[in-house]
Amino acid sequence: MRAALLIATKDLRQRARDRSALVLGFVAPLAIAALMSVAFSGTTHFHARLAVVDNDHSPLGSALVGVLRSPDLAAVASVRQLAEADARSAVTSGAQEAALILPAGFSAAATGPGPVPPIEVIANPDHLISGRLAEAVAQGFVAQLNADRLSVQAAVGAGATAPAAELARRASALQLPETVVDRPSGQHELDAISYFAPAMGMFFLFFAIGFGARGFWTERREGTLDRLAVAPVRPSTILAGKALSIVVYGLASMTVMWLVTSLFFGARWGNPVAVALLIVDVVLAVVALAALVITWARTERQVDSLSSVAVFGLTIIGGNFFFISAAPTVMRRLALVTPNGWALRGFIDLATTSGGPRVVVAPLLAILTFTVVVGALAAAQARRLVVG
Amino acid sequence: MKALTVAGAGIRRLLRDRTALFFMIVLPILIIVVIGTVATGGDRVRVGLADQGSGPLGTRLAADIEHSPALDVRRFHDQTALARAVRRAEVVTGIVIPADLDASLQGGGSARVMLLAEPGNPDQQAARAAIQAVVGDHAALIQAGRFAAGQAGVAFEQGLEAAQASVGRAPVAAVRISTTGGSKVLPKGFGYSAPTMLVLFVFINAVAGASSIIESRQLGIHGRALEAIPPRTIVAGEVLCALATCLIQAGIIVVVGSAAFGVSWGSTVGATALILTWALVGAGAGVLCSSVFRTPEQATAIGPTLGVALGMLGGCMWPLQIVGPGMRAFGHLFPHAWAVDGFIVLTSQHGGLADITRQLAVLGAFAAGLLLLATLQLGRRLTA
Repeated sequence: MRAALLIATKDLRQRARDRSALVLGFVAPLAIAALMSVAFSGTTHFHARLAVVDNDHSPLGSALVGVLRSPDLAAVASVRQLAEADARSAVTSGAQEAALILPAGFSAAATGPGPVPPIEVIANPDHLISGRLAEAVAQGFVAQLNADRLSVQAAVGAGATAPAAELARRASALQLPETVVDRPSGQHELDAISYFAPAMGMFFLFFAIGFGARGFWTERREGTLDRLAVAPVRPSTILAGKALSIVVYGLASMTVMWLVTSLFFGARWGNPVAVALLIVDVVLAVVALAALVITWARTERQVDSLSSVAVFGLTIIGGNFFFISAAPTVMRRLALVTPNGWALRGFIDLATTSGGPRVVVAPLLAILTFTVVVGALAAAQARRLVVG
Repeated sequence: MKALTVAGAGIRRLLRDRTALFFMIVLPILIIVVIGTVATGGDRVRVGLADQGSGPLGTRLAADIEHSPALDVRRFHDQTALARAVRRAEVVTGIVIPADLDASLQGGGSARVMLLAEPGNPDQQAARAAIQAVVGDHAALIQAGRFAAGQAGVAFEQGLEAAQASVGRAPVAAVRISTTGGSKVLPKGFGYSAPTMLVLFVFINAVAGASSIIESRQLGIHGRALEAIPPRTIVAGEVLCALATCLIQAGIIVVVGSAAFGVSWGSTVGATALILTWALVGAGAGVLCSSVFRTPEQATAIGPTLGVALGMLGGCMWPLQIVGPGMRAFGHLFPHAWAVDGFIVLTSQHGGLADITRQLAVLGAFAAGLLLLATLQLGRRLTA
């Protein structure tokens, strides 16, 4: 045990002197998280800039403006009433994202049985969701009107004998029989920083695979390992020492990310015990991966290649570079082949619920399984490497 | 001529380095595929739908919701799975069609379609407005069916049939939607991921490539070469090698992007000028880093981190349209943002060489400054 500790301490001291390890383990993840936090601050929410044009100059026109400025829509859209030419040029330039134009003669036509001129919605191509929102508002606005007209037509079609004008009068008293009601989910919203803080933390943590493996090979080349092998130290102790240094480095890197993003960037990590368990689990997976790279590589060059493939392959598939929730189903499933993909799922669940370690049981077990399988593959050849 | 020999040696070494080839070929393509796949469908709001088995009216409502052009709908078997997807932000809103919907509507009552969401989330408001429009149309049909049944003295089913037959016949107040103006962001999908990854990886690999120049210095290759050739020739050779690396990297992404993913790069002359200028920026940055960093490890650790950070600031990771004006202006202090802007003009606005002169001028100034600093610094290192 003492020998393993000595080896680990020596490795950590070496790593502390190597500025690149400090940059990748601490400076880079925090810098990237800070950048993301600033970039996404206030931008995670959708907010539409809508223009409304009332060419009808009627109570219906005022009602449409009233709908757009209702408390329901206030959080999602700011509305400006403009002349048609100004609204069109504002949407073209992008100053307004979309515009609703109520045509002249709309209310006169709406109260008669004939055709009604369409409400026009124009949208800037970069803000199609705002256009869809404006379209939906306009459709909601004409829904009762259209329902009443449809009711009269249907009644006539079904054989009603009352005159059309009387049917229209009766239909105008109807109310749409289906409504939409909100039921709060009661959970926390997942914001960008709460997702990307653990995602970037793990990405940079994975560079420890390369550090660990390269350090081992350097010692092998320089003969340090040979000297250790003839000392009264068992091969397993040497490996334990090496693994311990990766564990300490990884835990420090992730913990600093956890604390700094929680305290300064408003990231929500969730239950601390569960977060700690996930971090330990992922760090163990990194140790297993480093061991696999050490045992598979035949040259130092191969160590670099294999660790690069492991770092970038796993983090790209696992979803560390993009918001995995928005990805197609097949990519979300593929992410669960990787330990970091499982860990991200765990971190998402912790950030969005008030649950404890029970929330992350499945991710913990999945990562542990990955670690055991990878570790077993590495262990099969470990002794050969240490004793030459 | 000797500069070409120095550059040729560097390129040969690069082509033998499997790790470098992984970063130049496999990684960019993989990221283009992943980001290109994720960055599609942004025009529709992701919603989940659980139909609790109400009956034919509920089934029709579910189908109408699925056909809404504003919604990207995923089906869920039960409300628990739907609620979990809402929590994980896999869908913005969950729509629950209650089990008693058909019974209530057929019995003359009213029905409530439930939306599971975080009420403070305005993304949900956009989804809500679109869902409300679909539910409104469905409700209109039910209202008309009931009214027809009542007025004509027939069963609800017959009234509903009359209502369905009347859809399209009654003159309705329609909503017409159109778009206007040119786009200020890159096209969706691979049209977004390929140009941004070109900007990102040309720079990252150029900066990480500084490690090979540092290695040449550490191994004494430069020292031995100096006995036969003057320092300026070595500097010219290293700059040429870095430039060639950047152009190879850009060429790979352009060819793979066009051939495998059908990416359009816009005007050939404009794209060529932009890529050449960007390669010069990359070469300047790469050679400069070889003098700034002391060890190859520093170059491979700090270089990519710097590249990723500048890529984030410059709109390679997300469109600069979504960040605040201050952040956008700050991003334009670095060359990446200008390169991405150039690709937006070429691909989204179908501009030509004349339309990107401002971007080319700014990038040219960056390239000139970086190359001047890089050659001076490397020359000084060689003669020190």
